[in-house]
Amino acid sequence: MDRILIVEDDPETAAAVAAEVRGLGCMPVVMETLAAGLAASTEDFPVIVLDRMLPGGDGVDAIARMRAAGASGLILVLSALGRAANRVEGLEKGADDYLPKPFEPEELRARLRALLRRGTMQVLDNDLLAFGALEIRMKARTVHVNRAHVAVSPKEFELITYFARNAGQVVTRMQLLENVWNLHFDPGTNVVDVHVGRLRRKLEDAGSTAIQTARGEGYVFAPLAQA
Amino acid sequence: MTQHRPLAARATLRLAALMALAIAALSLAAMGLQYRLVQARMMQASQVLLTADLNGFAALYEQRRIIALRQAIDYRTTAGTGGEMLLLQDRNGVVLAGTEAAWPAEIIAQGDGFSPDQAIEFTTGGSRWLGVARTLPGGFPLLIAHSLAPLDATLASLRRGMMALGAVLALAGAAVGWLAARGVMARIGRINTLADRVAAGDLAARLPGPRSADEFGLLETHVHAMLDRIENLNRATHRLSDTIAHELRTPLNRIMQKLARIEGQPDLAAELKTEMRSAIRVFDSLLDISRAEADQGSGGGLVPVDLSAVVAEVWDLYEPLGEDKALHCTLTVVPDLQVLGDRNLIAQLLSNLLDNAIKYCAAGDSLQLDLYATGDGHVLRIADTGPGLPDSLKLSAFDRFVRADRDKDRGIKGHGLGLALVSAIAARHGAKLQLPMVEKGFVLEILWPKLVLDP
Repeated sequence: MDRILIVEDDPETAAAVAAEVRGLGCMPVVMETLAAGLAASTEDFPVIVLDRMLPGGDGVDAIARMRAAGASGLILVLSALGRAANRVEGLEKGADDYLPKPFEPEELRARLRALLRRGTMQVLDNDLLAFGALEIRMKARTVHVNRAHVAVSPKEFELITYFARNAGQVVTRMQLLENVWNLHFDPGTNVVDVHVGRLRRKLEDAGSTAIQTARGEGYVFAPLAQA
Repeated sequence: MTQHRPLAARATLRLAALMALAIAALSLAAMGLQYRLVQARMMQASQVLLTADLNGFAALYEQRRIIALRQAIDYRTTAGTGGEMLLLQDRNGVVLAGTEAAWPAEIIAQGDGFSPDQAIEFTTGGSRWLGVARTLPGGFPLLIAHSLAPLDATLASLRRGMMALGAVLALAGAAVGWLAARGVMARIGRINTLADRVAAGDLAARLPGPRSADEFGLLETHVHAMLDRIENLNRATHRLSDTIAHELRTPLNRIMQKLARIEGQPDLAAELKTEMRSAIRVFDSLLDISRAEADQGSGGGLVPVDLSAVVAEVWDLYEPLGEDKALHCTLTVVPDLQVLGDRNLIAQLLSNLLDNAIKYCAAGDSLQLDLYATGDGHVLRIADTGPGLPDSLKLSAFDRFVRADRDKDRGIKGHGLGLALVSAIAARHGAKLQLPMVEKGFVLEILWPKLVLDP
């Protein structure tokens, strides 16, 4: 069973994160101070959930020290400092993902799952990604369904490759905005839905139901279920 | 930022000029008094001389009348110093003796004695004379006058001396004034440069070197104390918003986590979640606005950003939304326009503007976004043919929490923070907002300062 390290001084938040971790079938290990978190980080944790304003200092500033000490887990910063500038700073200082508080449990779950998977996934360097009838050719940047070419815009291609990289898992709108559009703020309207909707219609017209809605959470690229 | 005129020390120069003028005027007045005194004394001396002369002639006349006078005048004429004018005529105007060949036309004889009273000053042959003209008993006109030329020469040289001294004083005053002004300007210039740097956003700017122990040093000390205070306040504002963020987010976060545990009422839970999201967004917008305002003018955190690329990206994100609403969407972007900025903030500004336009426009309206370069900078222009801003809102549209009543009536959701955030982000980038007059719809122009790359 994977263990996930949670460095968080607010017990309620720590409990909520721990609950999500258990929901993913992993074991949570909670540390309440930065020093304790730093000491524990060298153990074998595939994912570390790190708060920023901790007793003992800023978690983001400690990332470099964790890495230097030999921590190999992917780091998800979970912080009340949630402005775009804070997030960009966190990512630049070595965080693998950055989720602002208050967060929705589904969002945290999706991100933890993505990180857990990223830790075990082989690098996607093969040219062809095939999900049943759906084929994505990375070099040519083309999408085929049942051998028929589906015309997608460059953005739609980025969208489908991000989906493919997280195949089988819930992907939230916020994740799509951050990873596909590189935007770190909440635009308020569901602009992302329109784009996913278009891509989805194109695929469905060609005969693939690869993109599905996960109610209240986001989308799932789940061709395995239908394959 | 203030326009930089060449530093003109008008006030200092005026003061120096005034002082120089005052000193020159006082000196000249003192010399003028002296001049008048010298003039009066010399005139008195001339009169005493004339009186003595007249007394001499009077004594001669007492002894032997005209004959004695004639001899004396003849004798004196022969001796001829040039400094005196003597003339004795008979009753027919024939010259009996004298330095002159004829009676000067402008002189009229008065009285008949040798009294020095009624002495006259007259000018003849280019110089001034002091003398008396009499008609002695029996009709003998007599003229005795002394030249005032030596006196005039003395006075003239005195005047020349005064003029020269006045000129020297004026020049010295001007030179001292210029030097003083230059010195003062150098000191004030330092403080002006500091103020400009601070106004441009560099709150940590200070004057290097030690303070001098004069009034300028005191001014610098005071300016520094003021800047320290401003800097501390600014830092406190940053800290406050971070603290608020932390202290409020933690309870909000707990609410959110507990919301997830509500079971059996999925619709209510979903509604609550939506409300929470909207409350968090208001809170985030306020934080974004105050942070952008606090950072305004400080170049910190800004990097070169390809404005054209960001505009195109955010447009790509929103265009389908507009198309789905059957708006006519057009984008015109001049490529490779660079600004010094924060990509996420710029994207947020664009997102707010496009979101507003799409929200307020109805099917068939057009939405146009242009980015082009002008001499002054890059202009980002968004124009739609929607309802536009009500006239009553033109001035306050960029304030926080300002919304049009008709939107509330129409049920369009919002908190009146979108344009306030646009304005704060623009100000953070030193960009200027303009609302041109249009007949229909909403048009906003944002003038971004060009990125000047160091050579």
